[in-house]
Amino acid sequence: MAELYVKPGNKDRGWNDPPQFSYGLQTQAGGPKRTSLTKRVAAPQDGSPRVPISETSPGAPPVGPPPLSSKASRPPPVGSSPACSVEPTNFPVIECETLLEDVLKPLEEALDDCRGHTKKQVCDDISRRLALLQEQWAGGKLSTPVKKRMALLVQELSSHRWDAADDIHRSLMVDHVTEVSQWMVGVKRLIAEKRSLSSEETSEEKSTATAEEHQTVPGIHRLHNPVGSPDSPQTIS
Amino acid sequence: MATYLEFIQQNEERDGVRFSWNVWPSSRLEATRMVVPLACLLTPLRERPDLPPVQYEPVLCSRPTCKAILNPLCQVDYRAKLWACNFCFQRNQFPPAYTGISEVNQPAELMPQFSTIEYVIQRGPQSPLIFLYVVDTCLEEDDLQALKESLQMSLSLLPPDALVGLITFGRMVQVHELSCEGISKSFVFRGTKDLTAKQIQDMLGLTTPAMPMQQARPQEHPFVSSRFLQPIQKIDMNLTDLLGELQRDPWPVTQGKRPLRSTGVALSIAVGLLEGTFPNTGARIMLFTGGPPTQGPGMVVGDELKVPIRSWHDIEKDNARFMKKATKHYEMLANRAATNGHCIDIYACALDQTGLLEMKCCANLTGGHMVMGDSFNTSLFKQTFQRIFSKDFNGNFRMAFGATLEVKTSRELKIAGAIGPCVSLNVKGPCVSENELGVGGTSQWKICGLDPTSTLGIYFEVVNQHNAPIPQGGRGAIQFVTQYQHSSTQRRIRVTTVARNWADAQSHLRHIEAAFDQEAAAVLMARLGVFRAESEEGPDVLRWLDRQLIRLCQKFGQYNKEDPTSFRLSDSFSLYPQFMFHLRRSPFLQVFNNSPDESSYYRHHFARQDLTQSLIMIQPILYSYSFHGPPEPVLLDSSSILADRILLMDTFFQIVIYLGETIAQWRKAGYQDMPEYENFKHLLQAPLDDAQEILQARFPMPRYINTEHGGSQARFLLSKVNPSQTHNNLYTWGQVMKYSRRMSQQMKCLSLRKGFTWKRLSHTEKILFQLLTGSSTI
Repeated sequence: MAELYVKPGNKDRGWNDPPQFSYGLQTQAGGPKRTSLTKRVAAPQDGSPRVPISETSPGAPPVGPPPLSSKASRPPPVGSSPACSVEPTNFPVIECETLLEDVLKPLEEALDDCRGHTKKQVCDDISRRLALLQEQWAGGKLSTPVKKRMALLVQELSSHRWDAADDIHRSLMVDHVTEVSQWMVGVKRLIAEKRSLSSEETSEEKSTATAEEHQTVPGIHRLHNPVGSPDSPQTIS
Repeated sequence: MATYLEFIQQNEERDGVRFSWNVWPSSRLEATRMVVPLACLLTPLRERPDLPPVQYEPVLCSRPTCKAILNPLCQVDYRAKLWACNFCFQRNQFPPAYTGISEVNQPAELMPQFSTIEYVIQRGPQSPLIFLYVVDTCLEEDDLQALKESLQMSLSLLPPDALVGLITFGRMVQVHELSCEGISKSFVFRGTKDLTAKQIQDMLGLTTPAMPMQQARPQEHPFVSSRFLQPIQKIDMNLTDLLGELQRDPWPVTQGKRPLRSTGVALSIAVGLLEGTFPNTGARIMLFTGGPPTQGPGMVVGDELKVPIRSWHDIEKDNARFMKKATKHYEMLANRAATNGHCIDIYACALDQTGLLEMKCCANLTGGHMVMGDSFNTSLFKQTFQRIFSKDFNGNFRMAFGATLEVKTSRELKIAGAIGPCVSLNVKGPCVSENELGVGGTSQWKICGLDPTSTLGIYFEVVNQHNAPIPQGGRGAIQFVTQYQHSSTQRRIRVTTVARNWADAQSHLRHIEAAFDQEAAAVLMARLGVFRAESEEGPDVLRWLDRQLIRLCQKFGQYNKEDPTSFRLSDSFSLYPQFMFHLRRSPFLQVFNNSPDESSYYRHHFARQDLTQSLIMIQPILYSYSFHGPPEPVLLDSSSILADRILLMDTFFQIVIYLGETIAQWRKAGYQDMPEYENFKHLLQAPLDDAQEILQARFPMPRYINTEHGGSQARFLLSKVNPSQTHNNLYTWGQVMKYSRRMSQQMKCLSLRKGFTWKRLSHTEKILFQLLTGSSTI
């Protein structure tokens, strides 16, 4: 679950820099459009210039207030506005602190799982980056959203939901690249290695299961009857 | 008219095709009298979530000069298992797999709703996608840092089996060897000396005898040539570190000088590297540059800052020293890359020009992207770059590679040419016309990089002789066959077969007229105009465009000769003059106020977008928000600028929100924060929400301007609207006057009725004309 927010563009570098959408908002775009702004109006055929309704010239007294909104008034001109707006919004503050151990421990456990299956150099590289993550976290260099999302990532990883964990890693790389770029690639590789390890284990289980199946065909009575039954050799008295 | 609009829309949704004329004039002579040529906009890979590809190969006509693909227009004899090609009338036997077909058991490709169908090719190797980053290191510190971070981020967005490579350049060019060992190595080239492809391949060791194959599959390339292009899943950690350690170009830049940037050689090495290692497979060369090439082949300006980079004025005066040679260098590279099926993207972020004018062929001929920004540290660049890797509803990248488009026509039609991000494959044949429009002389083109919005304009010629009878069956047909590499590395073929009725223009002009698609016609004519503008003088193109408009109005307008006010156009033409008016003031045909790089950038995007986006570019959309009702489209005219309205203008490259004077005053007074004025808060929010929808999806990311009456940025709006109110009748619109040197639309309409162009009148004649007609002066 990635965050959905919009923050303003880099006004120092570009006065008309567009706002920046979070990864969550960008991947969500592509659904049906609320309003399709593609209509045009034909020009009047007689070619007469249009006369404006009313114009204020400079120096005229200021106009009165806008029309009051009443209970009987029409709903807003466009349908209900979505949760996010183009102007910056404040993200709600999370109450509980995400603990470093909660994140680091499962990652290190995952790395240990992979040690037999992955090359030593890769494991060392991942380990180095996890150390970097620890250092930055403990040093207070990581922001709260990053910590929160890392906790989620670790949860998904522990539950073997590889695609979800991958998606969270991508959202962190897109939204917070400055903070995470140095060590995130280690986490990404860890997810990939755990995924391939787990699929190897599943295929091993599958192949042993099929091997057992092949055995059951002639000797089916052995498997289905426990030791001590009349058919098993040990019980022949 | 309503039914034709529906017909046009349904066909566009299903086939991705929009014709200028949907009923075709049956003779060559009549077709030329229509003024707007018979042509179509084709979006070959239009997104069709409802069209799953079929897992078998298409059935071809057996005639060697035809080879059209089985389609719903073919006559089928289900008993004899024969089908008749609708293009050459050859009778073909169905292959053995089709023995079970019948009227009630039709294969998908014969059903009318599958006029567009996609096949997956099972055979052949599936090569991974390749991304070669070519990175300029002559950037400011924070720019380089932002670019590095974007590149590191992109490694997380690429598929794990994609191959990636890195070339960095400044004064020298470095090709980085990507390995998992601790020490990073690179090959360094001088940035001043151009090298041939063979020399590059020799120097990089790409032609040493092949080492024993690492993989089992014989199609895999030898290990030795992959040193520079490795799979992401193998080297992502090392490449992340390598990118993180990139430094600014170490060569010092003295006061008054530009950094020495060897873009020409860097690109040459990139093209040569891919040529030698992965020809004929989908690849992107992504060039990131922060300034103009200043040394070596392809240099666009010298290193002395006091000599500015060429402007349009310099080019007109033939004062652009490096332009011809540099353009030639990049054209050569672009053609080589296109031959190999590789596309070249250019990401240029700098405050001054970077040489897009000379380098544009790299993106235009190969179908690569062109992104222009002020700095790599802007949201415009970062998000545009992220969107390159956006995925569709199936989780696949939207980008596709190595496409060839073939067009077949029934014999009454020939192909005059195509305009879009393609190169000719020089395939002659019976349906190729001698009269060329755009890239002609061929019935096949190559598009090395494309996505679901890539659109080509394809122009046809009717060749039936005058007074020859209407062809049997009354319909003409065209088939578009696009073979391409899907981002999942599968090879696919998309086939679209369309037909339209012929009509005798002399007896059925009204039918032809009713079936005119003014939107498609406007974009097709615009593409022709922009194509001409690349090689002709600007004023000549405008004169040509004006002449075509006058001729069209003379042919299809209803008027009494003695009465100018009686002039009327039918509904199907009502928007066309407006489109032409805005087109001739657009940055595509008017280079005034734009640098050569900016003009190249705008033209690049214009020549490849689909119809809706192209129309937005020609005539920006303007919507008005008020308390009086839902947002409504309004005329792109100064009379739409009112004090109590908020305007949203979309020019494709910019989104402008403009608050009228009263609205701005209310906002300043803070009414939106008062609970009893909540509807005002909603009114302010509504255009922001709509703007957000556009900003969230568009590629490239537009600039965003939020301004109000009297604001300096209001000029973006004021320069686009038709200045129907001039300084004579509205003293306060001083800014409008500044931008209304060009003729207002009203004046133009008047002069059309008189049958001449305004521009050709002398000053005295103009004044006389105004006096006689009683219209206001400009």
